[in-house]
This record gives sequence, C-alpha cells and structure tokens, in this order.
Amino acid sequence: MIRSFLLLFCVVMLAVAADPPQKTFPFTYTQEDLPNGLRLVTIPTDSPNLVSVYIVVQTGSRNEVEPGKTGFAHLFEHMMFRGTDKYPPEKFQEILTRAGAASNADTSSDRTTFHTTFSKEDLPAILAMEADRFENLKYPLEAFKTETGAVLGEYNKNSANPGSKLEEVLMDTAFDRHTYKHTTMGFLKDVQDMPNQYDYSIKFFDRYYRPEYTTIIVTGDVDPKQARALVDKSFGDWKRGSYHADIPVEPKQDAPREAHVDWGSPTLPLLAIAYKGPAYTDTAKDTAALDAFATLVFGQNSELYQKLVVREQKLDSLGANAPSSVDPDLFTIRARLKHVEDLPAIRAEILATVQRFQDELVSADKLEAVKKRERYAFTMRLDNSESVAQTVAQFVALRRTPDTIDKLYVQYGQLTPEDLRGMARKYLIESGRTIVSLTGPAPAGASK
Amino acid sequence: MKWVLLVQAVSLCVFAQTRASQMRIVALPGNSPVVTLRLVFTTGSARDPEDKSGLARLTAEMLAGGGSKDLTYKQIVDAFFPMAASVGSQVDMEMTTFSGATHVDNLEAYYKLFRAMLLDPGWREDDFKRLKDSAINSLRVGLRGNNDEELGKEVLLSELYRGTPYGHYSLGAVSALQRITIEDLKQFYKQHYTQSNLIVGIAGGYAPEFLDRLKKDFGALPANDTAPALAIHPPAVEHTHALIVEKNTRSVAYSFGFPIDVKRGDPDYPALLVMQSYFGQHRESGGHLFQRIREIRGINYGDYDYIEYFPRGGNLMEPPPNVARGSQAFQIWIRPAEPPQAAFTLRLAVYELNRLVKEGISQEDFDRTKEFLSKFVNVLTKTKRAELAYAIDSLYYGIPNYNAYIKDALAKLTRDQVNAAIRKHLRTDRLQIVAVTDHAADLKRQIVGAGPSKIEYNSPKPPEILAEDKIVGAFDIGLRPEDVEIVPVEKIFD
Repeated sequence: MIRSFLLLFCVVMLAVAADPPQKTFPFTYTQEDLPNGLRLVTIPTDSPNLVSVYIVVQTGSRNEVEPGKTGFAHLFEHMMFRGTDKYPPEKFQEILTRAGAASNADTSSDRTTFHTTFSKEDLPAILAMEADRFENLKYPLEAFKTETGAVLGEYNKNSANPGSKLEEVLMDTAFDRHTYKHTTMGFLKDVQDMPNQYDYSIKFFDRYYRPEYTTIIVTGDVDPKQARALVDKSFGDWKRGSYHADIPVEPKQDAPREAHVDWGSPTLPLLAIAYKGPAYTDTAKDTAALDAFATLVFGQNSELYQKLVVREQKLDSLGANAPSSVDPDLFTIRARLKHVEDLPAIRAEILATVQRFQDELVSADKLEAVKKRERYAFTMRLDNSESVAQTVAQFVALRRTPDTIDKLYVQYGQLTPEDLRGMARKYLIESGRTIVSLTGPAPAGASK
Repeated sequence: MKWVLLVQAVSLCVFAQTRASQMRIVALPGNSPVVTLRLVFTTGSARDPEDKSGLARLTAEMLAGGGSKDLTYKQIVDAFFPMAASVGSQVDMEMTTFSGATHVDNLEAYYKLFRAMLLDPGWREDDFKRLKDSAINSLRVGLRGNNDEELGKEVLLSELYRGTPYGHYSLGAVSALQRITIEDLKQFYKQHYTQSNLIVGIAGGYAPEFLDRLKKDFGALPANDTAPALAIHPPAVEHTHALIVEKNTRSVAYSFGFPIDVKRGDPDYPALLVMQSYFGQHRESGGHLFQRIREIRGINYGDYDYIEYFPRGGNLMEPPPNVARGSQAFQIWIRPAEPPQAAFTLRLAVYELNRLVKEGISQEDFDRTKEFLSKFVNVLTKTKRAELAYAIDSLYYGIPNYNAYIKDALAKLTRDQVNAAIRKHLRTDRLQIVAVTDHAADLKRQIVGAGPSKIEYNSPKPPEILAEDKIVGAFDIGLRPEDVEIVPVEKIFD
C-alpha cells in the first residue's frame, strides 16, 4: 500500500516536472465593485510586511481626442502630485516619506498608473491620501505652469535617444485618425504649448479621473476584507462621471507607407517594419497567435535572428512586438543595423521572411516550446508584490480584471501552426504595412 | 561562546577587506518554485590592463553570451528557450556577477548549461567578434550617441579616478577594445576567475544536495588569484574643474562630485546615507534638490545625489546590487535642462550643496528621513534575488545583513552625527563637473566666474524665490576659464 502510494507520488511528480505550471496566474484574488463603479482587486502574495497599491485609470494618450492636446494624459500624471486642500504637496510628500514608500506613476496609450510600495502598517494612510487626490485634486495656475517645465524636461531627456524619434514617426505615419497616431509623450509643439492649457487640464481631470475609469490593485501582505473596508471608507463618496470619449476609428489602410528620419548625430541605422494588427482579445486567438509569431519568427532563437545577429552579424538587435492594446495597434519588427549599406538587403530579408510564413507553417515542436516558455516566463516574473501588481495593471487597462490573463493563456495553449499562418495572412499584409528607417550622418560610425 | 562568535565576525571582516582563501557561500533556501543563482567574482574592470580597458567586461560577456566547449551559442539559446531562462552578466570595478533564475522544474537542465558556460567556455572567434562589435557599438552609439546622462556620469567617475585602476569606463574604450584578443580573455579568466574570488549565491526551492554539487563543481577553478590587493587612491585636485562634452543634443545634462572616504560598513556611512536620502533620494520626489530645482522651478525632470556607484539610473528605480567598490564618490545628477536655463541650474545645484554643507539638515528633516530609510530598506530587498545580492555585498563589505545593519545604525544615529559627517566629507570646492551639451563655448562663458546667470519662468514665482534666484544667479561655483575643458564626444572613451 505504501509502496503503491509512493509510486503514485512519483508519477505525479513526473507529470508536474514534464509540464509547465498549469494555472497561469497562480494567485487567489478578490474582485469587487463599489456602487460608484470603482473596482478593487486584492491579491495577497508572500511579501512579508510589504504592500503595493497600483491605481489604474483607463485613460492614456488614446483618450487625447482634441487636436493640439497630445501628451495631456502624461501631463496629468504629473499634475496628480500637485496636491489638494487637505494634503498640499508638502504634506503628501511627508506621508510618503514617512511610509518609506517607493512611489511613482507612468502613462501609456491606454492607461495611467499610480503606484506605491510600502510597509503594510501605512495602508490606511496611503489609501486615504490617494482617495483625496483622486477626488479633490486642486492646483493653482502657477503650479500647473511649473509642472509643464518638468514635462518638457522629460521630453528633453528622451530626445537624446533616436529610438524615441523612430517611434514618434512610425505612429504618425501608420495612423491617420486614431489617437495612436501620437506617442504618449505627445508632439513637441503640443508639449511646448502645455503652459497655456490650464483650463483644459481641469476638464481632463473632470472627464477621466472618475471611479468608472479606475481600478485599485492591492497586492502583498494584505487582508482583502481590510482592503475593502479601507477603500469603502476612503473612496466611497467619489462621484461617478458621465463622459465617454469618442475615439476616432482608424480607416482601413489601403497601401503601404514609408518614412525616413535623418538623425543629427552618429547612430546605428534603425529599421521598423510595422503592420496594422488587431485589438487585444482573450476570446479569439489573434493576440496570442501574433505574440507567438513574434517570438518564433523574430525572437532570439529564430532562424532569422541566428542568421543576421549571430552568424552574419549584420544586426546588433532584432525583435518583434505583437499588439496588445485596447484598439487595433501595430505589429512591429525592429532591427538595429551595424552598417548603413546593409539597409536595403536587411529590409528585403525581413519582408521575405514575413512573406515566407504566409505559405509555410512554423514547426509544431517550436510552437510547443514557445507555449512552455511563455508560461514559465510569466510565472517567474511574479516574484514579488510589486511585479504582481505591475503585471495585473497591464491587463486591467485592457479588460479590468486579472481573469483575462488565464483566458489569454487558454488561447495560447490552443494555438496550432495553422493559426499562426492564418494570422500572418490576415494581418501581415502589404497594404497594412508601414516602414520607417533612421540613419545618422555618414559615416554611420559603426564598428567595422 | 560569545567570544567564539566575536572571532568569527572579525574574521569575516578580514576576509572581505583583503582576500578570501576559498570560495564563500551565501545560501537562502526557501519554498519558492524559482531557484536563483548568483555567482560573484570579486574581480572586475579595476584589473583591466592599462591599454586594454574593457577586458574584464568582455570576458564576462563571452561566458554569458557565447558558446561552451561542447555547445554553440545557438544550441545554448535553443536549450534555454523553453525554460524562459538565460545567464546574465554584470561587471564593475571590483565585482563580476553571473546571474540566472529557473523554475525548479528545470533546475537540472538549467544548471547543466550554466555550469558549462562558466567552467568550460568555448572561446569561439565568431562569438568574440559579435560581442566585441556589440561592446564598441554600445560605447559609440548606446552611450556617446544616445544617452547623454549616463555618459556624463561615467565621464565624471573616470575623471575622479584618473590614473588609478578605476580611471576608465568598465565597457572600455574603442581603441582598447580593438586591441583585445581572445588570448587576453583566456588569460584574464585563468588569473581572476578563482575560488578565492568567488562568492556563490543561491536562493529558492533547491534541494540541499544541490549546494554540495555547486561547491564541488566550482571547486575545479584555480584556488588563488595572484594579483596584489587593490589600492585605490583618487588623485588630489586643487581646484574645481569642468569638462564639457560637446555633441549634437537638445539640452544640457550635468553630473558633478568628488571621491569620499566612506563606504558601506564605515562609521560615517549611515550618517551619509541619511544625508543622501534627504538631499536627493534617487527617483523620489521628496529629495531637497528635486524640490528646489524641479518642483518649485520646473527646470527639469529630476535631480538626485549618490554616495555609492549607481549605474543605469535612467532605467533603474533602485540601486543595482553587486557593484560594490572599495572607494566611493559623492555625485550629484542634474537631469537635462533647456540651454537658456542651464548655467543657472548648475549654480543652483552647487548653491544648494553649499547650503547643505553650511547649515546641515534640520531635526524635522532628520527624523523624517530616518523613518523613510528604516522602512525603505524593505523595498530594496523585496525579491529573493535582491536579498541574495545584498547579502553578497554585505559579505564583501564585512557587515551583517543589510536591513539589520541599516535599521540598527539608524536607531542610534543623531542629527549631530549626520551634520558632522556632512561637514567632514562634503564640500563645494575642488569639484569635478561634467556637462554634455551642443554649445560648449557658450556654456563655458556662462558658468565661469560670478555670472550672473538668469532664469525666466512661464508663471509668477513667490518673492522669496525671485530673491533667492538673484543670489543663485551670481553664485560663484569657483570656475576660472582655465578650469574648463571642452572635449568633442568622439574623443570620449575612444
């Protein structure tokens, strides 16, 4: 009896060892909605004494629908640190400092996230303070203008990098009407005009900083009941808004596009080849299939990478990103070349590779390896309260629930080589393509 | 019993200060399904030959990014692929780190590769060429071309330690990298990758026998490094000096500072840590410099200070561990300012440093900062990976567990001690300043002497700020025209 039990145990162990972890998102969590539409997701994790609070507002540069107002969601991320009557900036800072908190915020096309990691005993104080700024933010014109200087400073520190410029031109060229046309930083002319947009900033806050746009994620050493009680107390009075942004729909692209950037100082040539892709989905295979395609065809152990980066050494980096945004976004292949004279050949080779996989199937074994890898990578990333919250925040911006993670990985698990080919045929087509190259002054300055 | 413990503690100190005679182990077993490996050799770029800077880093990259004796790099990448694993390397002056993590399911397969890469390197020509090209391109394009702020910081440190084993960038210089051969790498590996230099770190859900295997396998390395112990004596300077790196760029980035005689474990370290945090805690908005330059005046994106080496600050929110150094520098980092405001910004930063040295910190700021730090240490070690890495640094510096060390020291620390340490170790004369800008001659003209440098705002400022601006604008940072050197970016690390 004992022996057969042991044997059974061994079989189970082997099964576990042979397969990747089964449940992709390994934590138990609670998800609750307050009557005002605010959502709370609490995820206890093994992080003694530490708590992370991530507040996700489903507003990003995507919501910047008026002309001349690009970069506003990001500016607003900055303004949220400019205080209220109850917690002027000095007091706000004092509480964060005394909590030993690591605190910051970030903005992308679909979301603005405010995040703080600190000792658990400070949770009531931090949540009360957060609620106050989300409900009662108030800043004078002078503080607004001063903060626009810090935003211009952020533009300046990014502007030394040609990769930022390439991205700016790529989005501007690929999109005509949808707000993904501009990057989160916004166009320089709009950033320079920000000091004159005080009234618009108040309007922006009134529209989007509302409970129905907001999800609070609490991870770490936390009791869900306590978190709910604290959020009820602090955020319960927050009033629901009524604004719905009318995000322009991007018309179908009907011909390939191109642009080139002349960069003022020495750089390695950069090349981006992008295709109009789908919006994020966890109910169909599109998102998962394109993600697997990006890894298999352009990732570190792809044939193309091994040829161009490792053997021929013509590129010093190559990779692709599948879209994962609220609205249809780009599937982008990026390469950094060593020599400018290789640009036409590399471009042709990447295009031929895209073409090839519209006919050929990827190997089934390799696809299984990708599936395995994605699950391991996901599990290994979730090793502390902050990274759990950070990861969940990305998905909350898309579907407002961690539930979408397991749904997405179910799609992943069902992928076949035919699915990948099908998605390549559907999305990676010439009429939806945009190519942008960037080169520095000759000589390119690369190592010979 | 007490006496025995004391002896052990002392001998630990001695190990860290001189050199260990055998491999040391830091093990943090636990229940996590992830096993983290971190092997640190207490050797690095300070051992680069004078004409071959970059050798230590290229050697490590060849191990972590090249094939082993039996497997090509492609075979290794393919084998790691389904595990979502890799081996990373990091090289600083006195530490070379190899790190990786794997799900415990894959530990056996992972370790087989890890072991082969570190103990049986392949030394293939094509890997070497690829990694050398990549190093040269990182210097020319990644650093000089695209990252003005990191460039400024690294130029500053090279200047502060000119003529010492720290007096170059760990990635090397273009001409030096071009001289390096595979034979140099093999020689470096043979001499410095020894048991005496090795600290083996492991954390997570591994079996106890696994540790024995690690010890046995890495016991195959040569026993001792024959190089003499490092002695770093930064050159004395007589006058504040500015080096302006000229390149095509929109704005002006600054770094400035000087070496200090304080490192982790020294009596004044906790006091200076409080100072650092109060004056400019990295990437936090509560720092004094951040408040005065960004928050009140809206000049730039952020302003911070450091008492330890902190590379890649533009990307990292917390200091990267395992860049421990026997000699450290005090550094101020001023993020890019618009050219018309740049001269004023530099004067403002030095003016604030001057106030800090003269006035010290208030009791209220002291109390608040102490409270911050005693909790913030938990954030620093929030992952097993970080806990392991900090424990390795603590072994190097000869201190107990970092969190306990900081919390205990803070509990005993007084404001007077902090202010005494500020007066003793900080100064506003004999600074080394590095600026990165497009208009070097203009900047030079504006920062020498007593200005005045002006600033204009896009909104009204309180009278006390405007009054202070007048003082700041005319604040002489001690630069004479002959103290300013202009260097085109192409000459930096070339």
